[in-house]
Amino acid sequence: MADASKTSINIPQIIAVALVGFLAFRWFMSKPSTPSGTGFNTASTRSRGNQAVDLVKIDQIAAMFPQLDRRTIAWDLHRNGGSVPATTERVLAGRGLDAPPPSYQPALPAPAAQAPVVGISGATAGKGRGKQQEDLITRYQLQERVGGKGKEAVVSEEGLRSQNVWSGDKVVRAEGLKRRREEMVLAARRKMEERGGSDS
Amino acid sequence: MNSVASKRLFQEYEHLTTDPPDGITAGPVNEDDLFVWEAMIQGPEGTPYEGGVFPAELKFPKDYPLMPPTMKFQCDLWHPNVYPNGVVCISILHPPGDDPNHYEQASERWSPIQSVEKILISVMSMIAEPNDESPANVDAARMWRERRPEFEKRVRLDVRRSLGL
Repeated sequence: MADASKTSINIPQIIAVALVGFLAFRWFMSKPSTPSGTGFNTASTRSRGNQAVDLVKIDQIAAMFPQLDRRTIAWDLHRNGGSVPATTERVLAGRGLDAPPPSYQPALPAPAAQAPVVGISGATAGKGRGKQQEDLITRYQLQERVGGKGKEAVVSEEGLRSQNVWSGDKVVRAEGLKRRREEMVLAARRKMEERGGSDS
Repeated sequence: MNSVASKRLFQEYEHLTTDPPDGITAGPVNEDDLFVWEAMIQGPEGTPYEGGVFPAELKFPKDYPLMPPTMKFQCDLWHPNVYPNGVVCISILHPPGDDPNHYEQASERWSPIQSVEKILISVMSMIAEPNDESPANVDAARMWRERRPEFEKRVRLDVRRSLGL
């Protein structure tokens, strides 16, 4: 009798014990990595493993809001448990994202688009992302060419047209582009100077 | 992928050099990196921006022309659709597909049949005609809506200052 009852009870018992054991094990293992709103510590232990996922999320948000710093995005995701909707919501609500603490330095690969900009002149190098107060004359180093009023040879329409030539040499092309850019600024300055007298 | 993007950007550069639209100059800052451009846009006539020249930086993704570039003005541009940091908010610069917020039609957004030239022309007309439905610069949008003379005065002053006057 003992034998019979043992075998008939044991199989479901074993299954039940295995199931409970498995669930307990899973619950125990998953607990530390469950996202929680304020869990700074838990989030930081987790972020290493989820680095790849996080980068994709950062890219997603950076694509939507190119004005945001990637490190700031990373920090917000880091804090809200990696929720893209939550970060998006936050930006859209106009609350902005908190600046990450200096100690937070995630290993973000430099996005290709953020390759260092080689300035056409020294003036563009090292400018911040904030407001630029420098004017165009300074930016393109045209100070010497605006000194003498009206002395500057005015490039005729014809002359301008002849600049629209596609050269086979990239140095010549770069020169041409630079000259057209400068000409645009100088022409605008001349016009504004003329108008300045009659205006106001 | 890279070569597709480079090739396309190079072609666009050639086209913009030989046949530039009025009031627009654009090209790579350095030809060794075709993914960073500098563009100059003239302020549209008949607007407070008239007479100004506005430099902007265009940054292209590696999967251009599938995805659009970003555009950032390198000068102060007080405008409802330009973020205070210079980033331009315009539908043609938004990734392809439908707008999750249903503000824009898919046809207004970026698609590979658009081009740098079309972006710059769109931005030029955006400068002339702000869209205050989804402002990027809330303060500028409010001023534009409620205190237009003050808005125009501020823009004119910025333009003069930008030319060193």
